[in-house]
Amino acid sequence: MAPRSDNSKRLNELRMKHGRPPAGPNEPKAAKAEPTLREQQPRFRGLESGHRACQGCGEALAARLVMESAGPDVMVANATGCLEVFSTPWPQTAWRVPWIHSLFENASAVASGMEAAMKAKGKNTKVLSFGGDGATYDIGFQSLSGMLERHHNVLYVTYDNEAYMNTGIQRSSSTPHAASTTTSPVGAERMGKRHLKKDLLSIVAAHHIPYAASASVAYPADLQRKVRYAMGVEGPTFLVIHSPCPLGWRHDSALTVEIARRAVECGLFPLVELERGALTNIMPIRDPRPVAEYLKLQGRFAHLFKKNDYRAAEELDHLQALADHNIAIYGLRGEGTDPVDTTGVAQVRRGGPLAGRN
Amino acid sequence: MGEMTRGQYADAGTSLDFKTGNWRSTQRPVHVHAKAPCHTACPAGEDQQAWFALLQEQKVEEAWKSLVSANPMPGVTGRVCPHPCETACNRVHVDGALAIHNVERWLGDEAVRLGWDYPVAAPAKDAKTVAIVGAGPAGISAAYHCVRLGLKAEIFEALSEAGGLLRSAIPPTRLPRGPLDAELGRILDLPGITLNLRQRLGRDVTVESLKAQYAAVLLAPGCEKAKPWSVQGAVPADLHEGLELLRDFMDHGALPDAAKGDVIVHGGGNTAMDICRIMKRAGAKSVTLITASGLPGPDTAPDDLINVVPRELEEALEEGIEVIDHATVSRLIMKGSKVTGVEIIALKKEPGKDGRKRRVEFEGTERVVSVDMVVPCVGEQVDPEGYEGLLDGAYFWPDNAGGRVAERVYALGDARGSRGTVAAAIGDGRLAAEAAAAELRGEDDPSADDRSTIGIDALNTAYYAGASRTLVAKLPVSERTFEAEIEGSISRTEALAEAQRCLSCGNCLACDNCWTMCPDNAVIKTAELAMDGSHYVFDYDYCKGCGLCTHECPTGYIQSVPETN
Repeated sequence: MAPRSDNSKRLNELRMKHGRPPAGPNEPKAAKAEPTLREQQPRFRGLESGHRACQGCGEALAARLVMESAGPDVMVANATGCLEVFSTPWPQTAWRVPWIHSLFENASAVASGMEAAMKAKGKNTKVLSFGGDGATYDIGFQSLSGMLERHHNVLYVTYDNEAYMNTGIQRSSSTPHAASTTTSPVGAERMGKRHLKKDLLSIVAAHHIPYAASASVAYPADLQRKVRYAMGVEGPTFLVIHSPCPLGWRHDSALTVEIARRAVECGLFPLVELERGALTNIMPIRDPRPVAEYLKLQGRFAHLFKKNDYRAAEELDHLQALADHNIAIYGLRGEGTDPVDTTGVAQVRRGGPLAGRN
Repeated sequence: MGEMTRGQYADAGTSLDFKTGNWRSTQRPVHVHAKAPCHTACPAGEDQQAWFALLQEQKVEEAWKSLVSANPMPGVTGRVCPHPCETACNRVHVDGALAIHNVERWLGDEAVRLGWDYPVAAPAKDAKTVAIVGAGPAGISAAYHCVRLGLKAEIFEALSEAGGLLRSAIPPTRLPRGPLDAELGRILDLPGITLNLRQRLGRDVTVESLKAQYAAVLLAPGCEKAKPWSVQGAVPADLHEGLELLRDFMDHGALPDAAKGDVIVHGGGNTAMDICRIMKRAGAKSVTLITASGLPGPDTAPDDLINVVPRELEEALEEGIEVIDHATVSRLIMKGSKVTGVEIIALKKEPGKDGRKRRVEFEGTERVVSVDMVVPCVGEQVDPEGYEGLLDGAYFWPDNAGGRVAERVYALGDARGSRGTVAAAIGDGRLAAEAAAAELRGEDDPSADDRSTIGIDALNTAYYAGASRTLVAKLPVSERTFEAEIEGSISRTEALAEAQRCLSCGNCLACDNCWTMCPDNAVIKTAELAMDGSHYVFDYDYCKGCGLCTHECPTGYIQSVPETN
């Protein structure tokens, strides 16, 4: 066994580094260093650099944006999934808030307990619960439903990358129709996934909760407004964020935001807000674009552009019909130009976004 | 047991200890300040993007100062320039080019109205003096840039007034004398500039005497002599060349009697356009312009396009000028030595065997038109008196950017031979002054700006608000006279609104997109440490090189370059 002094030396190093109080009166105090440029950033860095997300990860971007507008007085219960894996490779963490990971299926249950504990202690710290689409649409579905039904004061955010990406791109109930995954491959029988994407937002809203909304990484201002709104609500709130996955969707890592933008602009991923089960707000689409413009950038839909396969054209028309259906039922086609429609909300000018960040 | 790890203390380390920057395998983002297409296209060397950026911050005087660091007479060019900047503007592909010339003119007029000081200091008492021949746009620009570079300038002008072709060949409907006098006066009043009037080269001074007396000699005599014009050797006895006609008209206000009838103007430049419009307004029965070039249209090749200010052409057509494009005068029909008609033939520039384009006349397209007067406007050349040994044919044709034709002697403006606009003359003034200043310091010629130009493909137009071009009032045809300016001015509100349309091509807009959209938190926002004029630095310790910021940068200021580590 190494001499004890070695350990205390290491302990001291750590204390110096992290600014912890000295163990004894004779130990030197950590020098207060000038804040680094990174520490001076005018935003809360809840999810810090050095995480192991892939290049161009939409989920990492979404989680960073959520933490910026939710933090710092929050705690996170994280389900199993990409986000959990890439942010906390032992013995490091990218989180700068209290953060718990237990299992795939129980993030909502853990969050419920955390919220109850905070309430018992008389604290106002907001509890967030994070999960991917697998943990939310499928595996953690019942615990989510229970949390909503018990009316816990928790903001649940699901990062929807439309398949089990962490384990190697298996289909989930959130995978869109006709997308190719390793468990819904393209072949002689099928053109990718046979079934439709589960409309989880409607199911969640049917719990009659105060606020449920969808957002997209393509519109950070809109996403952060929704987070801030949900943070101000007492009771269960729910946010689903469309988060492209360059690896699973098979697209260039530079196109993450471009693809997310096209998903919204074609109508396949409608941005809507529901309060107490009723549709209260939508983001109008200024100029709806064909779904093909969204699909053709992604390898998981490449089979839809195969020449001389009648099924390709049929599935393409099917997806177009699904997008048109969304536009019709949510009334996404705006009347004239709106400063917060899909075109207006993205606009910038010298010095920042045109519409401001409120 | 060795050293205890952090995990044994149950004390999580920060992921900041893990530098994901070494994941970059193919590309890394960098800030690249490429040239905006307006800047590349500007013969005067203005960086329109730079001064529009200042206007976007409501810094009007600073914007003017940035503008006049290249072009000291925006009030003039805003009125007379064919604005290639607007043709090149990337916003053409979105919802119409910026109204650059209108804003430029407004800035120039504001500077005169409010008496803003030119951003130059008085040259030192012992500063070297440069002699400049000709007080046209090139000469005055050269004098201004000499002062800007710490030299003194002494101008020798043959006529009794400064202004050159601005005064002698551009009608007041395009360039009213009030703004012209005010702007030129303010430049000529700058400390360090001396103007000697009625000093003609070859009569009062010579290149040699100037060279002996001054540190450098800048020759900006312009082109005063009409190019010889004939059709298959025939020259009418009562020939009036276009520029001469224009000068006479500006001096005396009268045109020859034949100008009351049917007139044909042969040529394709602004002088031709001006003379057409003046004759029509003076009562010519009909005025027809015959030009070898093409009219603007979707299929017109850039090298085939008629070289006139686009709005001038529009206005001329409004006023009833007829234009026969892709044609030339192939024969003069004379009664004695007086013209009674012309034969017109269609022609076009076609690539020949060696690939170089030449004019091909199309047999079988001849037609005869009866006319009372033919006015050639086929260009002018340098009056060779006093320039023996320096001219290469009709012009100086210098082979370098600064225009050096001999040691400490530079040629600039129209006299170079390859120029044709006021803006190019102003640009030459700067280039020659910079080259002369370098030569006097014993340095090499200033290096050219070889940055690349950014095209529409490098921009992400999803982030720009739609806004249509500011419409500017024009005098209706019935109210147009020989004096009143035709194009109206714009207001401060309109100018600032127009400035907001600038896409900031190739330069940082400080829009926060890269900062907001980096999944890895690897863009750091800072005004102090971003020495490149942006507000951001990349933290290459963590940047994984995904390219997202490059794609989402509206202006193309972030570019992905191959990773070399």
